[in-house]
Amino acid sequence: MMWLSGGFIFRRGESFYHRLDPRTKLLNSALMFVTTLLARSVFEMALVIGFMVGLSAAATVLKRVARTMAFTGLFSGFIFVVNIVFTRNLDTSLLYAIRFIAIVVSTSLFFITTSPDELEQVMKMFRLPRDVVFAFVTAVRFIPVMMLDTMQIMDAQKSRGLELEKGNLVRRVRNMIPILIPLVVNSVVRSGELAEAMESRAYGAVPRPTSLLVYRARGTDIGAACAAVALFALVSYSFYFVIPVHFP
Amino acid sequence: MGDILEVEGLSFRYPEAPRNAVSGFDLAIPEGEIVVLAGPSGCGKSTLLRTVNGLIPHMYGGEYSGDVRVAGSSVKDSNMRDLAQSVGFLFQNPENQIFMFSVERDVAFGLENLGVPRSDMRARVDEALRLLKIGDLAQRAPHELSDGQKQRVALAGVLAMRPKLVILDEPTSLLDPKTASELVALVARLRRELGTTFVVVEHRLDLLVEVADRLVVMDGGKKVLEGTPRDVLFGEEAEAHGVAVPAITRVQKMLAGKVGVSADRLLAPSELAAAVEGRGA
Repeated sequence: MMWLSGGFIFRRGESFYHRLDPRTKLLNSALMFVTTLLARSVFEMALVIGFMVGLSAAATVLKRVARTMAFTGLFSGFIFVVNIVFTRNLDTSLLYAIRFIAIVVSTSLFFITTSPDELEQVMKMFRLPRDVVFAFVTAVRFIPVMMLDTMQIMDAQKSRGLELEKGNLVRRVRNMIPILIPLVVNSVVRSGELAEAMESRAYGAVPRPTSLLVYRARGTDIGAACAAVALFALVSYSFYFVIPVHFP
Repeated sequence: MGDILEVEGLSFRYPEAPRNAVSGFDLAIPEGEIVVLAGPSGCGKSTLLRTVNGLIPHMYGGEYSGDVRVAGSSVKDSNMRDLAQSVGFLFQNPENQIFMFSVERDVAFGLENLGVPRSDMRARVDEALRLLKIGDLAQRAPHELSDGQKQRVALAGVLAMRPKLVILDEPTSLLDPKTASELVALVARLRRELGTTFVVVEHRLDLLVEVADRLVVMDGGKKVLEGTPRDVLFGEEAEAHGVAVPAITRVQKMLAGKVGVSADRLLAPSELAAAVEGRGA
């Protein structure tokens, strides 16, 4: 599970891809996503995967992307087996299996190179209500805090004799109650304190708050976007004019 | 200079509470003072502070009487937007007042909420980072900071809004002794450099007695003692009201009248050292 989550958690980086405008990264990932759906031959799919691998290498996240690919490979293998059993078509089965990996990688590449701050800006760009954006920001911000809280509560309860790993499944689930109750109580108290701190720092004072961060598209953004658009155009051309329609 | 904070006959009772959290409280604080508020837990200190920045009565309901004025304006009649600009509030747990994923974004949080233009905001954020000496942390995420650094970041976020009055609610309770001393030194420096007024709730008085102008002791929701830290701590009543009198003061009280014991009413180790040096000379 940690492998999969590692494929979606942002870590700071200094590559050109990390520094791209988050809107460009979103556009790239969206285009890659759609392109994988349009690709109808193993060659096209290999082209898309190659493009993603190239981007991952340029973003210095190839190792993490490779781990994600290896993990999704397990599911992908399952998809391949099911398809080969039912369709008896090697190309189709291979295509579906690779498509699954490509879809996961296209979204993974966006999340591992885009900071939560940038995600917030992207959400604002879609004109989501400020409260919704702030709820998302706060939820993500407090994930490490909640994890630390959980570990501390588990240690405290274990030191008082709670045996989390003992017993059958029902017993183990029941053992989690002394962990969950203090965790929920802590979270409720924390949310009250957060609300006070937000009021004290003028949350909601004006209908249109300003932002310290402003993103402007630069040459590298235009270059990266053009590359993704070119790939999309190539696969789209093939989709409509080259490969027969009956192929999936 | 005039009074930045005036509290007149303030009483407040939370809904369905059996008694008032604050009763008939009066206080006037001139601009630029550092005032320490002490007293046993549950004596109403936190409630009093929340009446100063408007959380009471604007966020919490209850029976409210009397008046609190900040820079001449009644808190009751002001909105939270204006109050957030004139009163900064540093809560006990810095973790729960850092909202953003990078230090500089968090320092800018209040300014963004106020709609401050970006160029002005940039300058104010940089100034706050410089004042708190945390410029090198600007891009760090909250979970990459120590408790002391978090406290500084939270204070930077408060100061970026340029409040006239800053409230610190037990700011050293989560800090180790060294970081706590550094925070107190920082408060003294900010008062000196910016002329900011501070109201500090603190149990560890030994840290603050050197920089505080005044000590106010609360008990049972009422003000029971007020004066200079020296007068209050060397008086008879402070300990009876649950005030943690600094060790150096307690020792002098115990040895009062004994041969060789100074009658200077020393409050801090630095004063003791100076007295001993003076005697040696």
